[in-house]
Amino acid sequence: MCAMPLDGVRILDFTWVVAGPVATRILGDHGAQVVKVERKDPPPMGNRKLGLQCDLHRSKLSVALNMQHPRGVELARRLAAMSDIVMDNFSARVMRMWGMDYESLTAVKPDIICISMSGLGHTGPRSSYVSYGPTLQALTGYTQLMAEPDGTPAGYGYSYADMCGGYSGALAALVALWHRRRTGKGQFVDLSQFEAVASVIGPALLDISVNGRTQSPPGYNSQEGPAAPHGVYKCRALDGDNDNDRWVAISVGTGPEWRRFVTAIGSPEWASDAKFRTLYLRMQNSAELDANVSRWTIEHSAEDAMAVLQRAGIAAGVVENGVDLCARDPQLKERGFWPEVSTKKGVTTHVTGIPFKLSGGSGAVRTIAPEVGEDFDYVLGELLGLGKSERDELVADGAVWP
Amino acid sequence: MSESGPGALAGLRVLDLTGHRAQLCARLLGDMGADVIKVEPPSGDDARRIGPFLDDLPHRDRSLFFWFYNLNKRSLTLDLKHSRGADILLQLARSADVVIESFAPGTMDQLGLGWDVLHRENPALVLCSIAPFGQTGPYRDYIADDTVLTALGGMLYVNGFPNHAPVRPLGLQAYHSSAYFGAIAVMLALLARDRTSEGQWIDLSMQEATAAAVEHVAGGYFERNEAEPRRGTLHWSRFFRVGKCRDGYIMHCTLGDWTSLIEWVKSDGKAADLDDPNYQQPMYRYLMAEHVFEVLDGWVKDYPRDELLERAQLLRQPYATVRPPEALFDDEQLIDRGFFVDVEHPELGRRFRYPGAPYLFNGTPWRVTRRPPLVGEHSGEILRDDLAMAPEAIAVLAAEGVI
Repeated sequence: MCAMPLDGVRILDFTWVVAGPVATRILGDHGAQVVKVERKDPPPMGNRKLGLQCDLHRSKLSVALNMQHPRGVELARRLAAMSDIVMDNFSARVMRMWGMDYESLTAVKPDIICISMSGLGHTGPRSSYVSYGPTLQALTGYTQLMAEPDGTPAGYGYSYADMCGGYSGALAALVALWHRRRTGKGQFVDLSQFEAVASVIGPALLDISVNGRTQSPPGYNSQEGPAAPHGVYKCRALDGDNDNDRWVAISVGTGPEWRRFVTAIGSPEWASDAKFRTLYLRMQNSAELDANVSRWTIEHSAEDAMAVLQRAGIAAGVVENGVDLCARDPQLKERGFWPEVSTKKGVTTHVTGIPFKLSGGSGAVRTIAPEVGEDFDYVLGELLGLGKSERDELVADGAVWP
Repeated sequence: MSESGPGALAGLRVLDLTGHRAQLCARLLGDMGADVIKVEPPSGDDARRIGPFLDDLPHRDRSLFFWFYNLNKRSLTLDLKHSRGADILLQLARSADVVIESFAPGTMDQLGLGWDVLHRENPALVLCSIAPFGQTGPYRDYIADDTVLTALGGMLYVNGFPNHAPVRPLGLQAYHSSAYFGAIAVMLALLARDRTSEGQWIDLSMQEATAAAVEHVAGGYFERNEAEPRRGTLHWSRFFRVGKCRDGYIMHCTLGDWTSLIEWVKSDGKAADLDDPNYQQPMYRYLMAEHVFEVLDGWVKDYPRDELLERAQLLRQPYATVRPPEALFDDEQLIDRGFFVDVEHPELGRRFRYPGAPYLFNGTPWRVTRRPPLVGEHSGEILRDDLAMAPEAIAVLAAEGVI
């Protein structure tokens, strides 16, 4: 395997649930040695060798340390002293209680980088709030503004906030590492997942603060310049399939696009109606326009509609469900976006890939996710240099789980 | 604008050629101290034509869409289709660290600015190409906006109610996830350069970045061969659902300390059978989620939502109120942490409140060093200072419409 960007970088990883593991996973995929510290009996979240848990914990090592035991903490501090970055997603008090906070760790590793990815940050009147992704999505506006046409909140079906938190955590780690290589200085990064998901709401935030405008659910109105038709349109089932939950997303902007669109769908009579003559009129009469467009899409599979429209230079795409995405999409398949990983016993599965390729041939899903404590021998034996009898004694003392 | 110590990325030079789909990427680097030059066509970047606009008056220097993504950047106008323009870009690229572009695949080659050329002129340069479907594959030349990308990236299908149309994410999240991955990829390539002295070409697919930003769909397929459905407001994990209070909505959560939650619900006389010891097990609450939330909905319906939130969080229950984004600007937590920054726009004689970055670096804080640039605001100074161009030469470029 050729060199990876983060070869030689070690990360001591106390993160759990989703946001933190997403951040350290990205770093692990690019060569960092991620040593995940966890307790023996973490809350059951699913099979580590499959699906989401494998996506979150692949390219990492796992060691189970008892952080309630002084000798467990001592092992963690020794690992920190030989690491470049320590990451957690606890509230401020947890790492402090263990003596694993930034100030304490600078005593054993003066240039350590600590990244804490708590829910609402370490400072401020609500730093003790407990939160998960959906909590933060509710507090920031996603749940309310991702709504049905009648205004009933729908929100995300999953924790997008965790992904935002994870990406900003990975970026913060890389930026701090870059800075340390140039100045020799480590630092403490206090990341707020709340702020991570709030900041990517985007320009609407300025519409509030600058123009004083109250935001309403945007539905399928284009957020990047006027467009009509713009939205999702119901399609017919694929041949030989009875799944009717099929949709195609279509975006038609300026005049030339509209004319290509009309030609592509066979120049139906309604399209020459005066009320659809200009983009402004198409937006004014969008409900009627959408009904007409749906009369075309319902005659086509989403795949066919997409192909016909893309051939005409119109932005269109299947609203892909999990099967489309992971098994059917020819583009993702061609680019190898779902790489295969296997267990030591040769059982294989697929995981989510890395959405960018470096010409130097770097990132890769390196190993399947470890079971809790799977790398006990490597971490205690090779990294910490403890012999068999010392390891056995630590196990017997309850400081670490094999 | 701010007292500035150097940011973490001080000394890095980034040329940002991206159109409206990928501008957040360079902003993330600029926020950390990189010197970002936004290279736009002489008529102005396409983002400048996208609203909302300041006071709803469309003008290329009043687009809030442009402002949001272009804080902490300078602007150089350059007609890259003009050979002099491409030549100037090449000269700037010789001393730059990073070029970020989001043209249709192949465009950089047509402009004479492809990877081979850039790499030859400056072997240490990192080129980040952000395209809807990447630089290869059968969809390479297909086009997409954010909505189409959320569709093809699997981010759309899973939001909303069964048998209704899927609900689109708030904000341009296909673009935003791509921008974060772009900034991460750039930093990885820069860190690799420390060892190799060579830059790399990054081929980023926005469809893939979108697909990577969906938490549970791939797992659902690879674990169970199933397409994850839309479940209304029930989170896929089955531990969260929206409930209706007296004056609005809240987000329930059944992952907090169950005993204290149920004691509270019981003391209100609304626990029904939820005090059954079986519910102590998260797995049982998972299986019984619809019933659990039905009982909890009955409990919260007469509460004012803010009171419910305060009491829940005191008991360390991860509850939340469902709020509009306007509430963020009054949020004491965000204000206390300095998340919002007031940015002076001297040409307008006004200052505006911008949302900031999601992290506090204790050694190299995030800073606003510049308001978003006016079109071509820094063209002259960049050509004069970086390329040592004479005033007459700059005047000729202006007259010929190159800058």
